Amino acid sequence: MWHKDFRETGKFPDAGIPRVCPEPHHTRRIQGYMASALVGDLFLPYLLGAQNQNGGWGFHVGSVSRAEPTVWALTALRECASIPDHEESVTRALRCLAAAQLPDGSWPSSPELLQGSWVTSLASLALLGRDTHSKSVAAGLHWLTGDVPGEARLLRRVAGLLRKRNSVASQNDSYFGWSWTPGTASWVEPTAYAIIFIRSVPQDLVSANTRRRLGMAEMMLYDRMCPGGGWNCGNPMVYGVAGESQVSPTVWALLALRERQERPEVQKSLQWLAGSWKSIRSPGSLALALMALHVYGLPDPGLAQALCSMYEEKEILWNVPDVAWAALALTGATNWLKHKPVGTAD
Amino acid sequence: MPRPAPIFAPPFSRPPSRVAIRRLPNYQSDIAAVLHETLREFDLPVRGKTVLLKPNFVGADPLGMTNTHPAVVGAARETFLRLGAAAVLVGEGPALDRDTQAIVESIFLRDYLGPLSKIFVDLNVDDVERVSLRTRASRLSELYFPRTVLGVDFLVSLPKMKTHHWAGVTLSLKNMFGVVPGSCYGWPKNVLHWAGIDRAILDINAALRPDFAIVDGIVGMEGNGPIQGLSKPCGVLVLGDDPVAVDATCARVMGLLPEKIGYIAQAATLLGHIQQEKIQQIGESISSTRTPFAVLEAFKQLRSEA
Repeated sequence: MWHKDFRETGKFPDAGIPRVCPEPHHTRRIQGYMASALVGDLFLPYLLGAQNQNGGWGFHVGSVSRAEPTVWALTALRECASIPDHEESVTRALRCLAAAQLPDGSWPSSPELLQGSWVTSLASLALLGRDTHSKSVAAGLHWLTGDVPGEARLLRRVAGLLRKRNSVASQNDSYFGWSWTPGTASWVEPTAYAIIFIRSVPQDLVSANTRRRLGMAEMMLYDRMCPGGGWNCGNPMVYGVAGESQVSPTVWALLALRERQERPEVQKSLQWLAGSWKSIRSPGSLALALMALHVYGLPDPGLAQALCSMYEEKEILWNVPDVAWAALALTGATNWLKHKPVGTAD
Repeated sequence: MPRPAPIFAPPFSRPPSRVAIRRLPNYQSDIAAVLHETLREFDLPVRGKTVLLKPNFVGADPLGMTNTHPAVVGAARETFLRLGAAAVLVGEGPALDRDTQAIVESIFLRDYLGPLSKIFVDLNVDDVERVSLRTRASRLSELYFPRTVLGVDFLVSLPKMKTHHWAGVTLSLKNMFGVVPGSCYGWPKNVLHWAGIDRAILDINAALRPDFAIVDGIVGMEGNGPIQGLSKPCGVLVLGDDPVAVDATCARVMGLLPEKIGYIAQAATLLGHIQQEKIQQIGESISSTRTPFAVLEAFKQLRSEA
């Protein structure tokens, strides 16, 4: 447990990690000293120490920079740390992210891959609001609006019209959203990421077709909700048996649908999430749950405490997105979800 | 040093395979002792080598029927260390839940392995390398695999004995879906479904054929597997150095016809034996351990009595 080593010796296992403090107005929002110490003394230094030479982050310290962990580390640094102290780090991260974009406007999930993926939504969201990157964001939006999942292709749609409801998985395949990788089926998380990003863009830049598509993607999310509320990574029902909900897809769907609080699906899923966190045994899911409940104005001090305790007491597997989410969750940061212009002065 | 590519050979040119069936009534049994005794018979080249155990971890499992039981994983790790392996890692990339840590905590893996940070690799978020697929049975010409899997000396598929609502059964060959990284392909790894599950299983195993397979059939799953089926106590471990032969033997123990399970039949053309006469049985016989598993109506043609 390296946080224990840190407490006893004052040193991090990775040499050269700079010490930072969270921005004062954020620390006030944190529940008690422990959370503030975790964010300032552990999470932010961990993220800064894990940043690669090229400005990006891998999933772990020393691993290859990839768009997804870079987005989350960058978001956490921008939202939870004092920007002047971290400007250089943030600038390098933005540059790395922009450089990873493929010529067609998409982002690959790993630099070795030559094809775009779901991380296009996340990378575009992270670059949104910066003049320097407005072209990157526009290209990302263009790619996403043209990226249709496999089941939306003509032959599949004809077959879907004939069948209407999937007899094995009990879902309405005529609704579609976005897929993880091009040409495969719509799933909850990539659909939620795309909705979050496209809804954050000034709506005059979003075509009527894309707005219609967003509406259908929302319908897909409602259709894919598990019977007890919440969403999962598979199908909500297979051969008549209800699927179990999971935290990560539930959180992303709830964040995508945060302006649809009146929908019963959203309320039911919020209830599921609020009632389920006590059985969560990992920091990543706890952080995501706390983040979503914050956004819905339902922060739970017990949940924040549980997240802190996990990092304090347990020997856990560290990775960059989990730490970034924990920092965002414990500071209650939600700016990254707000509507932004495509570009503003850097 | 990357793992050598598996050698393709048609069945007539392959020597017979050996598969052991060992009876174990429950997870409180001395699994490590049974594994050690059995693995010594195989004289595996693991001394001084790095071994990767690839279990099947899917999700929370209060009845012990969904995941490879951590007692089996712990016993396998202990056994390979006793056999002289320099390091024994455990790696998994769950397909249906992004939160691998939540899964390993829910099954209390650390109680059996100790601290996980130096042992366990989340294959979903490992660094990756491109591998050209030699068989191209599916529409895929390449896949990106975790560097850990490509870098180890000895790869062990350590699945649960289960029926599967898309593939018929999930055993040591299907278990290799878990090495395909979610951070490249998403959760689930839907690109494999679109490429054709049976054919993708063949492509993956032709690129990364496990050196050994240990199937946890002490308690399996029947019916609507791999996650929504029913518990099926079967009381066996099935082991061998030919994953096709191991899977074929498991299918027979489950009361199913391996020749009718698409991917096992296809794998038998290149990667191992399916014919019973080409499989030398060690330990218990198939007939003495046969425990028919219920299958969904869509797979009734797999039943050996059908």
